[in-house]
Amino acid sequence: MAEANIVTVRKLSKIYRQGDINVTALNQISLDIKTGEILTLMGPSGSGKTTLLHIIAGIDRPTSGECRVQDIDVTRLNESQLADWRNQNVGFVFQTFNLIPVLTAYENVELPLLLTRLGRKQRRHQVNTALELVGLGDRSHHLPRQLSGGQEQRVAIARALVTSPSLVVADEPTGNLDSHSAQEVLSILQSLSQSAGKTVIMVTHDPKAAAFGSRSIHLEKGELTN
Amino acid sequence: MTIGSFILKNALRNKRRATLSVLSVAVSLFLLVTLLVALRELTIPPEDAGAALRVVVRSRISLANPLPARQRPIIERIPGVEAVSPFTWFGGNFKNEEGMTFAQFAMDPKLLRPIFGEAKMPEDQYEAFEKDQRSCILGKLTAEKYKLKVGDRITLASTIYPATLEFRIAGIYSGTIDDRNLLFHHKYFDEATGDLGQVGTWWVKVRSAEDMPRVTTAINAAFANSSSEVRAETERAFQLSFISMLGNVKLLVASISTVVVFTLILVTASTMSMAIRERFRELAVLKALGFRRRELFAFILAESFGLAVTGAVLGAGGAYFLYNYGNISKMTNGIFITFEVTPKIVGIAILVATGLGIVASIAPSISVARTSVVDGLKTLD
Ligand SMILES: Nc1ncnc2c1ncn2[C@@H]1O[C@H](COP(=O)(O)OP(=O)(O)O)[C@@H](O)[C@H]1O
Ligand SMILES: [Mg+2]
Repeated sequence: MAEANIVTVRKLSKIYRQGDINVTALNQISLDIKTGEILTLMGPSGSGKTTLLHIIAGIDRPTSGECRVQDIDVTRLNESQLADWRNQNVGFVFQTFNLIPVLTAYENVELPLLLTRLGRKQRRHQVNTALELVGLGDRSHHLPRQLSGGQEQRVAIARALVTSPSLVVADEPTGNLDSHSAQEVLSILQSLSQSAGKTVIMVTHDPKAAAFGSRSIHLEKGELTN
Repeated sequence: MTIGSFILKNALRNKRRATLSVLSVAVSLFLLVTLLVALRELTIPPEDAGAALRVVVRSRISLANPLPARQRPIIERIPGVEAVSPFTWFGGNFKNEEGMTFAQFAMDPKLLRPIFGEAKMPEDQYEAFEKDQRSCILGKLTAEKYKLKVGDRITLASTIYPATLEFRIAGIYSGTIDDRNLLFHHKYFDEATGDLGQVGTWWVKVRSAEDMPRVTTAINAAFANSSSEVRAETERAFQLSFISMLGNVKLLVASISTVVVFTLILVTASTMSMAIRERFRELAVLKALGFRRRELFAFILAESFGLAVTGAVLGAGGAYFLYNYGNISKMTNGIFITFEVTPKIVGIAILVATGLGIVASIAPSISVARTSVVDGLKTLD
C-alpha cells in the first residue's frame, strides 16, 4: 500500500482566456504521486506550480485532463461534493498563513472540525493533539497577531492536520519566514510524512526547502521538465 | 467554539463599526416607530358614534376667541339641529400642579345625554348633576388618577379667568374616547365670571349624518358678515384641525418614513459589503477548508440579521418602553394624550428589521458566490 499512488494526473491542461489571448498555465501534465512522499514542485515564477497544486487540492478546475486522488476524479465532483471532499482529505498550508485574525490559535485549528460531526470533547482532543504536534500546545489561546510568523505557520499546519487528511498541500510555506522558522516548518512537514504517513505536496522556490522532500519535480511554462 | 460564537466574533471584529451600525439602525427604527405612532395618533378616527353627528362651532378667527351667547337660538332654529350646548374651556389648575392634566368645560348639563350620549353614568348621577349647579362630573381616568369619588369636593383655579371654582363631584362617567374631562354648569361659570355672555364653542347635535353638510354650511352662513363669524365643522375635522395642514403632515410623515427606511437600507448594505469585502480572502480560506457556499451565505445572513435585529431591539424596543410606559402627555406638553406603540407598529418595525437583514446580506452574498476560492486567495488583505 505504501507504494500505491495517491495522486494520478493525466494530460492535465489549464488555459486562461484573456480576451483574444490564451495563457496556457498547464500543458498536458501527467504525474504520479506516491502515498507518503513529500513531493516538491519547483520552477520559475509563473510556471504553473500554484495552478497544479490548486487543481490537485480541488480548489481549481482544469480545462481538460484528469486528476484522480485516491481513485476519485476530483474534476468530476460538483462544488458541494468537492467542499466535503476537501474537508475530509486535504490540508492546506499557504504562504501567507491565512489564519482568521479574530480567532485564537485553538479556534483557528478547530475551524475545519466544525464541519464534522465530532462532539466538543473529541474536537478538543484533536485540536490539542495537532497543536502539540507543531509544538504550540502552550499557545492555544493566543491570537494570530500575538504569534511570530513561524508560530502562525505552525498553527496553520495544525489546522491542516486536524482533520487527519491524507494529503497536505503547501504553497511556498516558508516564503514569508526567516530561515530558522523555515527550518522548523519544514521539519514538521517532513515528520508528517515520515511518522504519520501523510503525502505532502509543497511548492517552493528554495532549493534548501526542496532538500527536505523525497522527490522534486520542475515545471517550466506549464510543462514538466525532468 | 461553535458556529454561533464564530459568527459573533466575526460580527464584532471591528467593534466601533459594529457599534455605529447598530446605533444607526437603532436610531432609525426609533425614528420610524415614532413617526408611525405619530401618524396613527393624528389620523385615528374618533371611535364613538356620537362624534359622527356632532358639529363644533368656533370663532373663525381662532379657537381662543369667544363667541357671543346670543348665537345659540339662531343655531337652534336651523333645520336638522337637535341640540346646542355651550362648551367653554375653563383652563383650571388642580392642586397647584404644574400644567393641566385634564381639561374642564362649562356646558349645559341638560344636554349631556342628547349631545354626549356616549358618556355613561348611573341615572342618579345624571339627576344629581342636573340639579346641583355647583356640581361637576368627572371622567373615570381622572377620578382614578386622583382617587376622587362621588361626593368629594374639588377646587380649580382658572388660568384664563379671574375665577376659582369649587365643585362637588356629582358623577363619574366613562365610555368616551377620552374619559378625562371635567364637565360643569355653564351657569356656574357665567356667575363666577360676571355674566360675560360669552362661550368658547358651541357643540351641536345634528339629526342625521345626511344633515351634516347642510347644517355646517347653514351655521357658517348664519353668522357670515357678523362681528362674530364662525367656523362650523364636524367634531372629527375639529379634532384633526389641531394639527395644521394635516394632509400634508400625513404625506410628510410617510415620505420621511420612506426616506428613513431607504437610507437605513443603504447604510446597512454598505456596512455589510464593507465588512465582507475585507474578509474576502478569509472567506476563500473557509471555502478551501470545506465550508460550502450556503454556509458562507448563512454566516453573512446571520451577521447582517444580528446587526439589524440588535438595532431594532434597541430602537423599536426603546420607543416601545418610552412611549407606552412614559408620560407622553407630559413629554409633548399635552400635544399627544396617548402615543401608543401598537402591535401593528411593532410588527412593521420587526418587518423592516428583517427585510433590512436580508437585503443587506444580498450584495455581499452575491460577490462571495461569484468569487472562486482561487480568486479569493489572490485578493490582498
Ligand atoms: N486568473 C488568472 N487569469 C489569467 N492568467 C492566470 C490566472 N492565474 C494564473 N494565471 C497565469 O497562469 C500562469 C501560471 O500561474 P501560477 O500557477 O500562479 O504560477 P506559479 O505559481 O508557478 O508562479 C501564469 O502565467 C499566470 O499569469
Ligand atoms: Mg505560485
